[in-house]
Amino acid sequence: MDFDALISGLDRHTLDGITRGSIYALVALGYTMVYGVMKLINFAHSEVFMVGTWTVLGVYTVLGVTAGAGIGMVIAATLLALLAAMLASAGTALAVERIAYRPLRKKGAPPLIFLITGIGCSLVLVEIFGQVLRVVFGRPFGRVTVNIPSVLETKTVFTIPGLDLAVSNTRILIIVGAIVMMLALDTFVNKSRLGRGVRAVAQDADTASLMGVNRERVIMLVFVLGGAMAGVAALLYTVQYDITKFDIGFIIGLKAFTAAVLGGIGNLRGALVGGLFLGIVEVYASAIWDSSWTNVYAFVVLVVILMFRPTGLLGESLGKARA
Amino acid sequence: MIRSTKTWQAVALTAVAGLALSACGTTDTGGSAGGDEGGADCNFKIAAMGALSGPNASIVVPSVDGAQLALDQWDGGDCEVTLERFDTEGDPAKATPVATQIAGDESFIGVIGGAFSGETRATKTIYQDGGIPMISQSATATDLTQDDPVEVFHRLVPYDDYQGAAIAKYLLDEVGATKVFVVDNSEAYGEPLADRVEETLGDSMVARDKTEVGQTDFAPTISKMETAEPDAIMYGGYIAEAAPLLKQIRDAGIDAPFIGGDGLYGADFGNAVGEAGEGAVVMCPCAPIEGDSTFAADFEEAYGGAPGAYAAEGFDAMTIFLKALEDGARTRAEVQEFVSGYTGDGLSKSIAFDENGDVPQDQVSYWAYKNEGGTLTPEVEVKPEG
Amino acid sequence: MSQITDAYRGLKLGERWDHAPKPVRWFVMLLVVAFAFYLPYLNILPFAYIRTDLTSSGSDWASVLFLIVVYMIVAVGLNVVIGLAGLLDLGYVGFYALGAYSIALFGSTNSPVVEAMQSKFGLSEEWAVPFVVCIPIAITMSLIAGVFLGAPTLRLRGDYLAIVTLGFGEIIRITARNLDGVTNGAAGITQVPVPPGPESDGRAFFNTIDAERWYWLALAILILIIFLARRLENSRVGRAWLAIREDEDAASVMGVAGFKFKLWAFAIGATLGGLAGLLFGSKQQYVEPNAFMVQLSFLFVAMVVIGGSGNIYGALTGAFLLTYLPERFRDLVDWRPFAFGVALVLVMILRPQGLVPSRRRAREFDDRREEAKEAAADV
Repeated sequence: MDFDALISGLDRHTLDGITRGSIYALVALGYTMVYGVMKLINFAHSEVFMVGTWTVLGVYTVLGVTAGAGIGMVIAATLLALLAAMLASAGTALAVERIAYRPLRKKGAPPLIFLITGIGCSLVLVEIFGQVLRVVFGRPFGRVTVNIPSVLETKTVFTIPGLDLAVSNTRILIIVGAIVMMLALDTFVNKSRLGRGVRAVAQDADTASLMGVNRERVIMLVFVLGGAMAGVAALLYTVQYDITKFDIGFIIGLKAFTAAVLGGIGNLRGALVGGLFLGIVEVYASAIWDSSWTNVYAFVVLVVILMFRPTGLLGESLGKARA
Repeated sequence: MIRSTKTWQAVALTAVAGLALSACGTTDTGGSAGGDEGGADCNFKIAAMGALSGPNASIVVPSVDGAQLALDQWDGGDCEVTLERFDTEGDPAKATPVATQIAGDESFIGVIGGAFSGETRATKTIYQDGGIPMISQSATATDLTQDDPVEVFHRLVPYDDYQGAAIAKYLLDEVGATKVFVVDNSEAYGEPLADRVEETLGDSMVARDKTEVGQTDFAPTISKMETAEPDAIMYGGYIAEAAPLLKQIRDAGIDAPFIGGDGLYGADFGNAVGEAGEGAVVMCPCAPIEGDSTFAADFEEAYGGAPGAYAAEGFDAMTIFLKALEDGARTRAEVQEFVSGYTGDGLSKSIAFDENGDVPQDQVSYWAYKNEGGTLTPEVEVKPEG
Repeated sequence: MSQITDAYRGLKLGERWDHAPKPVRWFVMLLVVAFAFYLPYLNILPFAYIRTDLTSSGSDWASVLFLIVVYMIVAVGLNVVIGLAGLLDLGYVGFYALGAYSIALFGSTNSPVVEAMQSKFGLSEEWAVPFVVCIPIAITMSLIAGVFLGAPTLRLRGDYLAIVTLGFGEIIRITARNLDGVTNGAAGITQVPVPPGPESDGRAFFNTIDAERWYWLALAILILIIFLARRLENSRVGRAWLAIREDEDAASVMGVAGFKFKLWAFAIGATLGGLAGLLFGSKQQYVEPNAFMVQLSFLFVAMVVIGGSGNIYGALTGAFLLTYLPERFRDLVDWRPFAFGVALVLVMILRPQGLVPSRRRAREFDDRREEAKEAAADV
């Protein structure tokens, strides 16, 4: 136990925690939005994220960019990868909805069944990258860790005076990127016409449909938005960690889901709060002890929070999430 | 329940569907019938047991290919030997039914494996009960031979204690490190290895941290490194986590040399670490193949790639079993006796087993491989003792 | 495929079964049980195709049967939690692990706990807690864990319970892996004891080679459990579960204490999970933390749901198929997980009520389907 390490490096650990938590939060959005509208845990969402990371690798490979490219090229490649990852992830999320959830909804199946098709879909997606594509195309697909060229090289941009805390360009991108995307989504859901539909369905699906909101379209929208956010998370993830792997979504997904519940599932701002909170808790605890207990810290904190606030930090309900 | 024509209809349909499905499979009923006609002659099977599918297959498949190569090159005379591959996914729970199957089928006279320590631990008593000799090409856990040895178990690789000592020796002598940061993955492979490195390094270790399998964000570990300012970093674990760890170390501007154990050995290492892995060192008890052997060329011709992890050990394991048959051994007990008393030069090292089933430590060599441009090239040999 | 299901549906097996005279039912059940015991030796041609050791690299048939029965016990236990009480438990592997670890920790001479006891009480190095004593220990430990986990968390609503139980499963595994001084850490515990029995050919009766003995033992336990579970389902507790599952508020108004009965379900489920884990650990004679990954919990839930949650025979079918098929089609090697995923999605979409749904559940399901249709028509 080393509390000195935590105190002396508190600024540094907080920054690490926020970086980690930003990615949790972005992925958590997908869980929380789908849950808000459908009262369903979308177990395949972790793989929606995974598809995004592979898309980033694909874009870099096609463009042929590597570390040390010119600044213009770096910006272009990153933006293009972001766009492609958002599209691919949103597309995957939509496909999952079409294949695994919609037929069940039509039949009025109980929620447990959605869970199993979600797990099935997740397995299929994992295996597509771990097995199917490997058989068709060979490497880099397969069950191994794959390097993604660090197109955006990590450089210290500025040092926070007084704290002696170096802040790198990748961290700025991740934290600012995550916050901007979340603000945009929050504004969209709270201000736009479509967003109003989402909130209406989340509040009361029956009444909403009486008011002329097309529930099916709202569900599609929610999957697309959640998928796109996972795509953003995928790009930011590759910028920070420079790798992907067929089963990379599993742990991120688990943590993001935990974060969503922690913040109050169904609540957009809850996802942000939950994600950042979870990231910071994990990093602090790992600094005091070590990382082999990470999941234990995460789940113990979750249980304790749920004991006192049974619906998470900010409470649930996408519908009532304002101010 | 079966009472009417409708019922029979249903049953018949099921049966037809079932037959149609199973007709695709082989139709040799009952494994027990295996070697009844060949018993007196020389028709035998040798089993290779390990993770042939799943994420760790790349560490195991080359060794089984190596064994197959030895068999293909063997002129058995009257003997007909086949190598049967049993997939365990490296999971002890999946390995036990496989081991029971092998032990129960008398036509098997030897086992190559288990490839990993966990499955070996779970199955060696089964093989012991069945009296079937095993030669492992890559199971390195210390306890397999030191804490509770069984007669039938032999292995061609030295155990973790030696490997840990060798890594520590490399760190001290070759790198000249005085402040080593040791990280492990908390698993059965990485943790004891790191423990042993820590023990041998003594005061030369500056800090120790534990991580998890599946982890990709190592920020807490990195900040501990920044505080400790090590002059070398040792990681006990596998490629999947070593790659992001190493990248984050380099991203943080820490230039200390990075050394890992044989869990990182393999062609996938270079692919996974990319540029950040340039100059990283992997220690492995697998000697580079001697120049005058045709093994590398033969292997490449047969399997379309350079011999991977433990291919030479797989080749040697098969060779020992085949020599037993040449020597006239026809039962498990005879093969077991032959293997235990075997001495000879193998591809990987000169082989002889001590009473615990280990190769003597003076025969063991460790090699440090340096990652240069994505391939592991042999750098220097390290002898842990002396 | 649909032809076959239609043919079976036409039979109305369930109804006939209910109306059959009691001696006939007993006789048929006896036949089924006898056939189950005979399975390891099944070698008559068309039926022998179900064996898993037909191909040259197959696995031992009796060992696979044993694993199937162990997972069946798990499925029956989890069915109490999910199917009867309607609580989504994603951490069931935790109880399974506890069962396996109890027998290993107290029964193995290799375990640090036993070693500590030896030195503390001056016992010989051969001494360990006898197998028979380990059984109540395992059951008590999983029971306590069930209550301990259930008491604070069962007040949470469905989906919160899912993530908390999932966390519980992970906590058990990670703790077992990290507490080197208690559990031997990641290396695991060897020399887990086997049930006592007469020695034959110099081997223990329950040895590693003769897997069919293990299978018979597990099968006998399973049959006992099925019998008890059937009784439970139709008891006051069973009816209370049903009421809670359907509408907890209405149930509590009618005087059914939701929390108490939910805790009962959790405790019973935990005990059965622990018992299955004990059998597994003992047969394996080796227990290590990586045998209890989260994914196994998902597999358990899939067994219950695919089979038809709420129906014991459905859960048994699910457990059988999901354990047996991957072993039978070992030839597919790397394609098995993919095929598994596709199968999960397909089966659930084509037959959302499960393969062998409980009759009550099937009726509820029909209602909901009607509602869904009406709702769709409204829009």
